[in-house]
Amino acid sequence: MSEKTIDRRTLLASLATSAAGIALSQHSSAGTRVAADSQEIKKWDIVTDVLVAGSGAAGISAAIDARRGGADVLVVEKLNKLGGSSALSGGVIYAGGGTKLQKALGFSDSVESMYHYIANSGRKHPHLDKIQRYCEQSVAHFDWLVDNGVPYNKRFSNGKGLGFDEASLYYSGSEEAWPWRDECKPAPRGHVPWEKGHQGGKRLMRSLLASAKKLGVKTQKRVCGERLVVESDGRVTGMLVDIKGERAAIKAKRGIVLACGGFIHNRKMVKLYAPELYDCSVPWANAGDLGIGIQMGMGAGAAALRMDQGFAIGPIYPPENTIAGIAVNQMGQRFTSEEGYHAVMGNIVTYKQDGIAYFICDKDSDRPRGDDNQPLVAEANTIEELEQKAGFPIGSLQMSVNYYNEHAKNGEDPMYHKSKKYLSPIDKPPFKVYDLSVDKSMYSSHTFGGLQTNVNSQVINVWGEVINGLYAAGRNTSGLPTSPYIASGISVGDCTFFGRQAGQHAAANKS
Amino acid sequence: MKAILYWMFFTTKTAALSVTVALILAFNTQAESLSEFTGDAEKGRLVFAQCRTCHYPEKIIGHHNGPNLHAIFGKVAGKQVGFDDYSETFKAAQFVWTEELLFAWLANVEAMFPETTMMSLGVTDPQQRADLIAYLKRFR
Repeated sequence: MSEKTIDRRTLLASLATSAAGIALSQHSSAGTRVAADSQEIKKWDIVTDVLVAGSGAAGISAAIDARRGGADVLVVEKLNKLGGSSALSGGVIYAGGGTKLQKALGFSDSVESMYHYIANSGRKHPHLDKIQRYCEQSVAHFDWLVDNGVPYNKRFSNGKGLGFDEASLYYSGSEEAWPWRDECKPAPRGHVPWEKGHQGGKRLMRSLLASAKKLGVKTQKRVCGERLVVESDGRVTGMLVDIKGERAAIKAKRGIVLACGGFIHNRKMVKLYAPELYDCSVPWANAGDLGIGIQMGMGAGAAALRMDQGFAIGPIYPPENTIAGIAVNQMGQRFTSEEGYHAVMGNIVTYKQDGIAYFICDKDSDRPRGDDNQPLVAEANTIEELEQKAGFPIGSLQMSVNYYNEHAKNGEDPMYHKSKKYLSPIDKPPFKVYDLSVDKSMYSSHTFGGLQTNVNSQVINVWGEVINGLYAAGRNTSGLPTSPYIASGISVGDCTFFGRQAGQHAAANKS
Repeated sequence: MKAILYWMFFTTKTAALSVTVALILAFNTQAESLSEFTGDAEKGRLVFAQCRTCHYPEKIIGHHNGPNLHAIFGKVAGKQVGFDDYSETFKAAQFVWTEELLFAWLANVEAMFPETTMMSLGVTDPQQRADLIAYLKRFR
C-alpha cells in the first residue's frame, strides 16, 4: 500500500507545474527534485509564522509552545484525523527526577538516576546532550503536561506493563531488573493519563489538541508535505504541499517543524534502511508513518541517523506468571532475562538472534489459553521429548532447562539475575514451546531512525551545520529512543519534549 | 410491542443489507471477489495484527481507538453501544457488515468512505484480505 502511495507522490511531482502558481525552472525535472528552489515560487498560497507538518505529540507540542511564543501557527496533517501515532499509543511519558506525581505517591527519584538509566541501558553512544536536557527539565515538562490539561490519577501500579487498574504511574522499563536495579536507584517513571482500555495516547492527544485549539493554533487535515523550499543561502522558508490533489505553496516566516512520524508503513524504506524491522510481522503505527518528513528533510540536505533502529516487541507478559518461563534461541540457549522490559528482549531477538526465538514453559508459566500472540510449536511431558519435537539440537534445551532449574529452586539465576519472585523451576508438565520469532508471533515494530537534530530541535545537515529555519521532532528524528527501546514513554516523552523545543526556538526565530 | 420491535429490526436490517449489496457492487471494482479466495485464519492472525493498534476482536477487551470487532459480520455499521468515536460517515451508515463488504472496503479504504477516520492503509493483497476475514470469523 505504501508503495502505491509513493508512486502517487512521484506522479504528482512529475506533473511539474501546478495550479498554485509554482513555475519550475526549465533545467530541472520536478520528479527528481529533492527540494524546491525559492526562486521558483511565484506566489505563496498560505503564509504563516510557523508551519508544523504532522499532528501527533511532537507536532502539537511544537504548535502549543510556538503559539505561546507569539507565533501564528499552522499545523497540517496528511490524514483525515488529528493525533498521529501518538493517539494510538499507550500515551506514556517517561518522566522523573521527582515529578509531582512521583512525590505525591511517595517515590523519591533524582535527575542523576534517570540520566544514568537512559544513557546506559540503550544502544551505545546515545545523544547524551539530549538526554541531559530531557532529564534536567523533566519535572517542569511533567508540569507542562498537567497545565495543558493532561489528566493523571494519583495512583501507582506495581504490575509489569500498563495495567487495568486506573494507575497513572508505574515502572515502565527495566529499572528493577538486573543490572539497573544495582547501578541506579529504581523509580517508577512511566506517567500515563489513564483511560479505559489502554487508551492513554488518545487521552493525551485529546488534551493537547484541545489546548492547542484554545491557544489559537490553526489545523488543516488532508494536507501532505511534498518538498521543502530552500533559499540560495540554505535557509528553509517554505513547503510545497498536496491539498486533496492540488499543489500549494506554504511560506513559514519563522520556521518549519517536521513532525511527520517514522516510516514503518513505507515498506520500501523499511527494507532499505531497517532490514531487521522489515521481517517483523506487524507494522505498529498510524497510517501516516510513511517517512515523508524524513524524506523532505533529507531532500534539503539533512543528515539521517540510526535509520536501522526501531521498536520491536513480541511480549511474553502480561500475565506475569509467564516470566518464570525462559526464552531461548534456535540453539536452545537463553539469551536474556525474561524479566526485562519486553522491547529489550525484542531487540535481542530481532537484531542479534536472526529474528528467531522460542518461549519454554511448564504448566505454571504457560501462556493464557486463547492467546493469539505466539503460536504453539510443541507440547510434551518431558523436556527431552519437547526438545525433540521442536527440533532443538540434541541435549541443548535439556542443558538449558536443567541449569536454570538447578539454580531457580534456590531462588538464583547466575546467568541473567532474574528477580526471585519470577524464579521457579520449569518442572511441571505439560511443557510447551511457543514461537517468539519475529515473523511467526505478533511482532510489533516501528522505526526510531530519523533526521539529526540538536537540543533545540534544529535540523543538522550532512556537513554538521544547522539548517536555518528547519526543525524536526519525534520519530521524524533520531532522538532518545534507541534499539533496544528501554522503557515505555521514552518515545512519546521525546516527542512532546523536543517538539516543544522546536516550537519555542522557531517562534523566537525572527531573522 | 415485542413483535413490532422485531418487525422494525427485521425491516431495518433488510434495508441495510440491500445498501450493503449496493456498496459492494459500486466499489468492488477490482477484478477479484472474496469467493475466489480461500481464507487461512492462521495467516490472517498476523495480517489482522496491525489492526490491533485500534481494534480488538476479543469481546472481553471491548472498544479501543476503534470499535470492537467481535461477531462483526451481520452487525449494522457504526451503531455499537459504548463506542463514541464513529466518524460522521459511520454514524449515518445504513448497511450491514458482511465479509464481502469488508473485502471490498479494505482494498482501498478511502475510495469507499472518503471521510472515514480509520487510520489504515488497508490490505491491498486480496489473499491477505481473505485471510484476515477468515481470522475475524473465529470471533463470534
